[in-house]
Amino acid sequence: MKYIRAIILIFVCLLTSCQQSDYSFDETPQGNLDALWTLIDQRYCFLSYKEQQLGFRWADLHAKYSAKLNPKMSRVQLFEVLCQMVSELKDGHVNISTSLDLGRNWSWKEDYPENLDTELRQQYLGTDCHIGSGLKYTILPDNIAYVVYESFSNDIGDGNLSDMLTFLRLCNGMVLDIRGNGGGELTNAERLSQRFTNEKVLVGYRCHKTGTGHDDFSEPQAEYITPSNGVRWQKPVVLLVNRSCYSASNTFVRNMKAMPLVTIMGDQTGGGSGLPFSSELPIGWSVRFSASPCFDAQMQQIEFGVEPDVYVALDETLAANGKDTMIEEARRLISEMKKQ
Amino acid sequence: MINLSITDKWPKLTPPKGSWIILFMLLISVTLHAEQTELEPVPNRNPTARTLLFGIGRTNQFDTYLSPMEYTGLQVSFLTQSERMTRMANRHISFQSTFYGAYSSTDNPAGTADYIGGRLAYDAGWHYHYSPLSNLDLKGGAMVGTDLGFLYNSRNGNNPAQGHFSIDLSLSAGADYSFRLWRLPMRAGYQADLPMIGMMFSPEFGESYYEISQQGVGHDILCAYPGNAFSLRQLLTLDFCLQRITLRIGYLCDIRQSNTRSLKYHDISHSFMFGFVRHFQLMRVKSKE
Repeated sequence: MKYIRAIILIFVCLLTSCQQSDYSFDETPQGNLDALWTLIDQRYCFLSYKEQQLGFRWADLHAKYSAKLNPKMSRVQLFEVLCQMVSELKDGHVNISTSLDLGRNWSWKEDYPENLDTELRQQYLGTDCHIGSGLKYTILPDNIAYVVYESFSNDIGDGNLSDMLTFLRLCNGMVLDIRGNGGGELTNAERLSQRFTNEKVLVGYRCHKTGTGHDDFSEPQAEYITPSNGVRWQKPVVLLVNRSCYSASNTFVRNMKAMPLVTIMGDQTGGGSGLPFSSELPIGWSVRFSASPCFDAQMQQIEFGVEPDVYVALDETLAANGKDTMIEEARRLISEMKKQ
Repeated sequence: MINLSITDKWPKLTPPKGSWIILFMLLISVTLHAEQTELEPVPNRNPTARTLLFGIGRTNQFDTYLSPMEYTGLQVSFLTQSERMTRMANRHISFQSTFYGAYSSTDNPAGTADYIGGRLAYDAGWHYHYSPLSNLDLKGGAMVGTDLGFLYNSRNGNNPAQGHFSIDLSLSAGADYSFRLWRLPMRAGYQADLPMIGMMFSPEFGESYYEISQQGVGHDILCAYPGNAFSLRQLLTLDFCLQRITLRIGYLCDIRQSNTRSLKYHDISHSFMFGFVRHFQLMRVKSKE
């Protein structure tokens, strides 16, 4: 029997040796605020940069927003306080999702002129434009290709791109309009960029957090765009952008800025250079946050956007008369390049 | 109207003349042959015990790459095991192989998100047996195994899933105790497998699968040992016979854990197992002189 006793003793010892979660936040308002604050403190990738640029200290915000809590507050009230706290980051990739609402800070586009009239843009495209997956395109009267890509969430295939560029091959240049494109899949941004270079181009760097410290980052890895094996565009391109170009769209503009025949025109892009991850709070709400930053080819931050080569705004008066000043300026620039 | 009957579709087969006589003679010859032979165990081939168990239980999953919350829920599993004594060390060493699979569906404490999980594991190794009593068999040895699994969170965006992969060398120990209860022969068994050294996959703290796809997984393979990946599988079983079938019920406690690169993970399951054991002995036909 002594063997049996020994075996049972070993069994009990081993059974109780498992590790437990050290996540000790409870489901009270304070517990949820603590959980959110800790999540951002440990995993948000722009904390040092935002503290420097926006002039706050994340450590101070815990006390500031804890003072707004009380144990009897409703879920809606708690949601408002938590959203106010993360809004200090001014990051469109930081959201709190509940069944009631989406907590957000969209000041990156809401605080600036939109520089886009979608009805006017549709007039330029016409009713007989081509639609290849997410791309809409036509040939304008002055033999300039006009291509609109509204969202990088709309998948584009290599076949779509080759067919489109073949169709537009006799044009003098291209106006690529991504105004209002709020992002989507990075792979679509990369695939489209590959059509505008004949050689491998360094477009930027990317790294990720390696620990819970604010400045624990991996060694930045260079990001290159390699030329596509399909049809490639060899003529001038004017890329139209506005403040609503965000996330993958922002990364696409960064890529295109490194291409030889491309001119970026319009307003500064909205930014959003962090690849977002998801997590959650004890109350069950989903939280999205920027987890790994990317940089431009000079290793500069593009979290607050990419500056255009040529600043042009939409003239509302001319827009009322059916003229999109940004498209017109792009056409004029391509015509000048053609003459040269 | 065409009316098809069964005979229209299927032509009637008429056996050729004399076929019944041939069939009868064939049966007689087989019977006579059987009467003149007997079976005997093949020398140097020991009996093999094969077990097939199905399990159902609860699991607790925690993966800070996906969420800081512990998810709990149902798990179904299967476990097949084969054990055979070898000729090594004067027939004191057995070879064992185990194949384990599990599927789980778990929820976060608030019930607003869920994980889907799956695991496949294969282990093979040798045990040295020692019997201090006639009804007690102790064994200890080592096993080499591989474990492949995933957790998928249906709500996450760019970090929707986490893959788990490891290869390890485990220490293994167990005991079997035979006894009678209500005049029925029974056998209680216990085995624990403890991974000691190996390799495992783990992304860095904030590394996305997008980056892994761009840069490869080479830098994400780490050395695993109990200090950073304490894991343990314990199986407690009871065998009993119902007529000529050996049934097995048991309890499986499977603990997989890791704490690497500031990421914590555990998958702790407790399952009730049930199934049967089959004992095989390779026989050969011996003709009577």
